[in-house]
Amino acid sequence: MNAPSTLSTYNCFHCGLPAGTGSTYKKQLGGAVRDFCCLGCQSVCTAIFEAGLHSYYQRTPEGTLLAPPPTPPQDIDSYDLDEVQQEFITRSGELRDIHLLVEGIHCPACIWLIERMLQREPGVQSANVNLAAKRIHLRWNNNLNKLSNLIRALARIGYSAVPYDQENAEGAIKKSNRSMLFRLFFAGFAMMNVLWISIALYSGADKGEFRDFFHWMGFVLATPTLLYAGYPFYRGAIGGLRIGRLTMDLPIAIGLSVTYAYSTYTTVTASKIGEVYFDTVTDLIFVILIGRYLEGMFRQQALSANKRLLELQPRVATVIRDGVEQITATRAVKPGDHVLIKPGHKVPVDGIVLEGHSAVDESMLSGESAPVCKSAGAKVTSGTVNTSGALLVEVSSTLQNTTLAKIIRLVEDAQASKAPIQRLADTIVPWFVLVTLVCATLTFIIWYHNSFETALMAATAVLIITCPCALGLATPMSVAVASGLGARHGILIRNGLVLETLSRVTHFVFDKTGTLTEGKMSVAVVHVAPGKDVQEILRCAAAVERYSEHGAARAIITEAEARQLNFSGIVVKEFNATAGLGVRAEVNEKSVLLGSLEWLTRNEIKPDSELQAQALELEAQAMSCVHCALGGVHVAVFAMADRLRGDALQLVNELRAAGIGMTLLSGDRKVVAEAIARQLGGMEVLAEVLPQDKDQAIQRLQQRGEVAAMVGDGVNDAPALIRADVGIALGSGTDVSVESADIVLMHNELDKVRLATLLSRRTLLTIKQNIGLSFLYNVIMVPLAMMAKVDPLVAAITMPISSLVVIGNAARIRNLFNKVKP
Amino acid sequence: MSVIYTLIPGMTFMGLIFFVIMIWAVKQGQYEDMEGNANRILQDEDEDMMP
Repeated sequence: MNAPSTLSTYNCFHCGLPAGTGSTYKKQLGGAVRDFCCLGCQSVCTAIFEAGLHSYYQRTPEGTLLAPPPTPPQDIDSYDLDEVQQEFITRSGELRDIHLLVEGIHCPACIWLIERMLQREPGVQSANVNLAAKRIHLRWNNNLNKLSNLIRALARIGYSAVPYDQENAEGAIKKSNRSMLFRLFFAGFAMMNVLWISIALYSGADKGEFRDFFHWMGFVLATPTLLYAGYPFYRGAIGGLRIGRLTMDLPIAIGLSVTYAYSTYTTVTASKIGEVYFDTVTDLIFVILIGRYLEGMFRQQALSANKRLLELQPRVATVIRDGVEQITATRAVKPGDHVLIKPGHKVPVDGIVLEGHSAVDESMLSGESAPVCKSAGAKVTSGTVNTSGALLVEVSSTLQNTTLAKIIRLVEDAQASKAPIQRLADTIVPWFVLVTLVCATLTFIIWYHNSFETALMAATAVLIITCPCALGLATPMSVAVASGLGARHGILIRNGLVLETLSRVTHFVFDKTGTLTEGKMSVAVVHVAPGKDVQEILRCAAAVERYSEHGAARAIITEAEARQLNFSGIVVKEFNATAGLGVRAEVNEKSVLLGSLEWLTRNEIKPDSELQAQALELEAQAMSCVHCALGGVHVAVFAMADRLRGDALQLVNELRAAGIGMTLLSGDRKVVAEAIARQLGGMEVLAEVLPQDKDQAIQRLQQRGEVAAMVGDGVNDAPALIRADVGIALGSGTDVSVESADIVLMHNELDKVRLATLLSRRTLLTIKQNIGLSFLYNVIMVPLAMMAKVDPLVAAITMPISSLVVIGNAARIRNLFNKVKP
Repeated sequence: MSVIYTLIPGMTFMGLIFFVIMIWAVKQGQYEDMEGNANRILQDEDEDMMP
């Protein structure tokens, strides 16, 4: 096991990570002194030994490295509130059922440990660990024990558990996909059996004594397949007819019905010349269901975006009533209440700060990663994260009236009103269906003069031959292959249908912060007073800024590191920060001040006029300036700017060369947005826009007849991402923007937009080729069928071949990036 | 050859039974955790194991 291995270094007894020489964490446990890498491992291990479950360490498979325990979840107490639990438990009353999502499960021994430990807790009826999904199914008696106690007990032995809403997470889409899978299984089972019978019939049994028997067996197998596995096609066809549209399902349903009816007619009348096509019925259902199932897996989970948004709002808030802190469910908080937001917690409501200073991380709203300073009078928005100090907030709106909820409504509106994507195949199918039906009718009329039997056979053959199989597979197969290829190159295609749309895009809309720019401050320019040493000033500034939480501080440190300055040895004394102004500290007996110009004047330092002029000039270019004073003298100005992403310029140039229009959308100030647009060679700029304006900007483009793509990353981009014909989110963005987008760029490389466009063009080409191929097949076979020249054997061979050709052609997409530099 | 009159329906019927069993198993959640139970059966209940 994880025993000390070498003489000089020890490994942590719990997690196996190196504990270093003479580690500080030692404890006498189980008759020996054990070393630990951290206090977390030590306390977890102590708890395990105290519970007498130490054989856990022997059960852990050899070579498995346990990880140090994850940090336990916050707000555990809130899960005891009935209102909060309501959302998770599957039965209420005394006995309750809940699913917990657990972090820290890594090996089978964990199952043993967790189940043993939980069963010793009072009130626990059963605890079942699901190793693959890392979940616990817990049943406990709420009168005997509280849920928070159980979660704490898990935290003590190193597992972080949070309640998990199974309905929400898995939802209806998964259920419908599962029922589709059952249908697929059944069709597969029937198909295999029917094929054996067909082989027997084709190899001569249709002449002998078993002819009727085989026909009846086919009938027995095909009937339930048609009714059960084929049901989605009938539902789709009838649903389409009801709203007056000829859908892909219609020719499939007609083809299936006619084939089945004709075969049944042959079987029942025991006709000696007719053939049965039960194999065609089951094959068709099976093959098309495969396509449908693949498509279903890519279908956008529209609902989940809204749910994720709601989860951004914390469930509980700390309300101050008559000077007493009270933990209350967020839905019970009323406007006018005073709410305390501790550092590290999420803001539960919209409100106005009454007391306190803090930096609030609003990146989920704006995409801006630098925290925003808030002090009395500032507005805070629910869902943002309070990073540094405690804030007392007067509630202005809760739940459905918060900014976050308004964005949710925008997302819902955009989803509801967005026109469905018109697929290429969809535009062709109605005509295809019409032509097929006309051909079949014509065939019947022409041959009716000959004999009824021949007419019926020929007309049926036309319907069967025009099997929409290849046409039905043309799109899903191409999209499936393209999606797989995209995923391997960091382009996650969430909605495969947009692959067709992306190549037609005429206008790209970019979010500024976090999309075109890196979304974090960096030092762009350093100006120093004459005769001063830049390096020395930067070293002092970086040393002081190590203690600051401000976004600008990090930028200065990064700059100093980039210049390879060593400032780790500098001793900083008497550091103190004033929110919104700046910081001061002592280095080598000299005072160091960093902050705004006002900060310097407040500390009675005379600003250097030349530096002041330079700062003004920089501020006109939309940079924010940090002034630095050493030993009471104004010595430097650091200009901060949000730097462009490395590949932004290249992408913009390429799009411009391709004649595609571009717009920059930003919630930021106009000067800043225009400065960025200038750096990118100029484009239309819409600055100071709210989330709903972003949505409307896209709508206006669409009304002009443009096909718009939106590239963004923040929650405020979500409505626009949905509204746009193609929504592209950056993987670093919030969950919500990722959920709202059609395409996600995993590694935040803007250049991938170009690759995605290439992929899209290639996919569309392949879809067109596939549709062409299936038409070619029909052009050859239909006239033959109309002349009543199609042998059933020929039909049986050519039909799967047409599908195989389509599948093979789609597979060729995989070679796309071999030629292109990935 | 008349044996196929019973063999083929028999085969189909058996296939059907397997299909029903499979659906039942999936719905029971037997495929949700493929690793957990496989390992659970190997964990014996000795308090102190041989090292």
